[in-house]
Amino acid sequence: MGVRKLSVADKIYSSVNYALLLLFCLTALYPFIYFLALSFNDGYDAMKGSIYFYPRVATLENYSKAFNNPLILQSFWISVSRTLVVTIGSTLLTALLAYGLSRKGLPGRKYIVFFFFFTTLFSGGLIPTFILYRELHILNTYWVLVLPSLYSFFNAIIMKTFFDGIPIGLSESARIDGASELSVFWRIILPLSMPVMATIALFVGVGVWNDWFTGQFFIQNENLQPAATFLNKMISEASFTSMTGSSSGSSIKNMNENQMALRGVTPEALRMTFVIIITTPIILVYPFLQKYFVKGVLVGSLKE
Amino acid sequence: MIAKEARTEVLPEVLPVTKNKTWSKVWSFRHIYLFMLPAFIWYLVFCYYPMYGVLIAFKDFKYNLGILGSPWEGFRYFEQFLSDSSFYSVLYNTLSISFLKLLFGFPAPLILALMLNGVMHGKLKRIFQTISYLPHFVSWVVVVTLMQKILSPNVGLVNDIRDHMGMEPIFFMGMPSLFYPLVIISDIWKGVGWGSIIYLAALTNIDPHLYEAAEMDGAGRWSKLFKITLPCLTPTIGILLIFSLSGVLNAGFDQIWLMQTPATLSVSEILDTYVLKTGIQQGQFAYSTAIGLFKSAISLLLIVLVNKVSKKVSDVSLW
Repeated sequence: MGVRKLSVADKIYSSVNYALLLLFCLTALYPFIYFLALSFNDGYDAMKGSIYFYPRVATLENYSKAFNNPLILQSFWISVSRTLVVTIGSTLLTALLAYGLSRKGLPGRKYIVFFFFFTTLFSGGLIPTFILYRELHILNTYWVLVLPSLYSFFNAIIMKTFFDGIPIGLSESARIDGASELSVFWRIILPLSMPVMATIALFVGVGVWNDWFTGQFFIQNENLQPAATFLNKMISEASFTSMTGSSSGSSIKNMNENQMALRGVTPEALRMTFVIIITTPIILVYPFLQKYFVKGVLVGSLKE
Repeated sequence: MIAKEARTEVLPEVLPVTKNKTWSKVWSFRHIYLFMLPAFIWYLVFCYYPMYGVLIAFKDFKYNLGILGSPWEGFRYFEQFLSDSSFYSVLYNTLSISFLKLLFGFPAPLILALMLNGVMHGKLKRIFQTISYLPHFVSWVVVVTLMQKILSPNVGLVNDIRDHMGMEPIFFMGMPSLFYPLVIISDIWKGVGWGSIIYLAALTNIDPHLYEAAEMDGAGRWSKLFKITLPCLTPTIGILLIFSLSGVLNAGFDQIWLMQTPATLSVSEILDTYVLKTGIQQGQFAYSTAIGLFKSAISLLLIVLVNKVSKKVSDVSLW
């Protein structure tokens, strides 16, 4: 951009623009700051209100209760392990699929692409999927947390488009030198594709990390529920009473053992804490991958 | 010509003994097919088998008899929901939420992109962008928790401030009249930054000479916007619009399910939540599958139709 003189109108325009953007960014950030402050504040004190940016009665009690609760730790562990397994598995498998789809001259490629594409247009829906899981006997097992999340056609297309951009001469010459398809893929394509691999890994990872649905409806075993599901249950169990502000004696009677173990901190404060715990990994990771995924999304969405 | 030659696949030197050229070509790609085999199996099991499973919409499904073994019921379940008044209110809610989201939510990322594009300071632009993506990466569970707390009548942020100002607390999440505004605002809050990426990319693809030429002709900011920027973005807008229109029957399951309260059911029950309740929670598998099938079929029809119209009108299409 050349250096232009800014007119008064330009200046007004751009200050309004900056002000609005700043306002939007504040609204995007503020809820997390608010929760951060509340999670470090004593729960009973927080009930008085008026905590906006920083804790009034600072305490680590909420975090220590959260990290000492076996059920929370277990759900956290389930989420971490599930996220790792699915992210690695899905990224590699999707890359293999995308590599295949990107190979020019592959006999029947048009039909193969349609076979996969069609699933984005029409799906069996929830109940047939539920019945499928039942017939596969993966309901209420770790498998249901992993298997259904392995492929996504959208991700495959993003990767395929990236592979399309790799000069064909590279893999060609390796093949002439006698490299097998697998070693071409492993030694040439993958190392060149790290940006898109990182992008897809982030998408898959975040998606799985945030998924509460699978745990909610396909898992009954408390020891298998992912953190997002746990958070959701934590909300819905206590939410109505706390949202309306009427906590009666019956809610204490209904508390189970694990909830009893959490006494001493308010359920509210614990929820704030859990939101921070579950969000932190994402906030830490995504800014570093930003330059990749911005490119990745573009490649995948603009072309083709 | 030579360059083109080099682009064709290198076949193995020793071809299997077969006259058929196609099969020898297929054979030369055997490893590639092998790479795709897991995907093929996965899609057959996890996508195509459930498609076959929609048959239970026409059956009196019994587990012990299996999908094929269960007795046929014909269109009974379709007739059942078509004559059910709650079905229409559910359909109405779904469409209302979708259209409101489209009306308010669709232009939002475009506007944000144009605003971000106006930021000349590169570093600042990146910071704004990074922050604006943040909500996209957070689960709806977290977003709804944030909302519940901030809007809680029991010293949530908003009611806390209202209290300071001497106003009565409002139970935001429990008021049917506030449900749609909250759905739309939270949806925009979560998605606007992410949605702007595509527009930003399209903006960088616009030839700067166009602007220079327009400036020479004395074009102002607004005429540049309407004569150059928006026309250049039309294909992108078109594709995204096709996507949104075809998803009109998906009002956003996660969000709605999590935001629903017993008090707002009359406005918040949508097709997807209804399917889940009748199906998994009440065990009416066939009835609920019929509704799901109805939804998928209409969606498929919509996407094909919208794509066709768009292809004709603007040459923009998904396939």
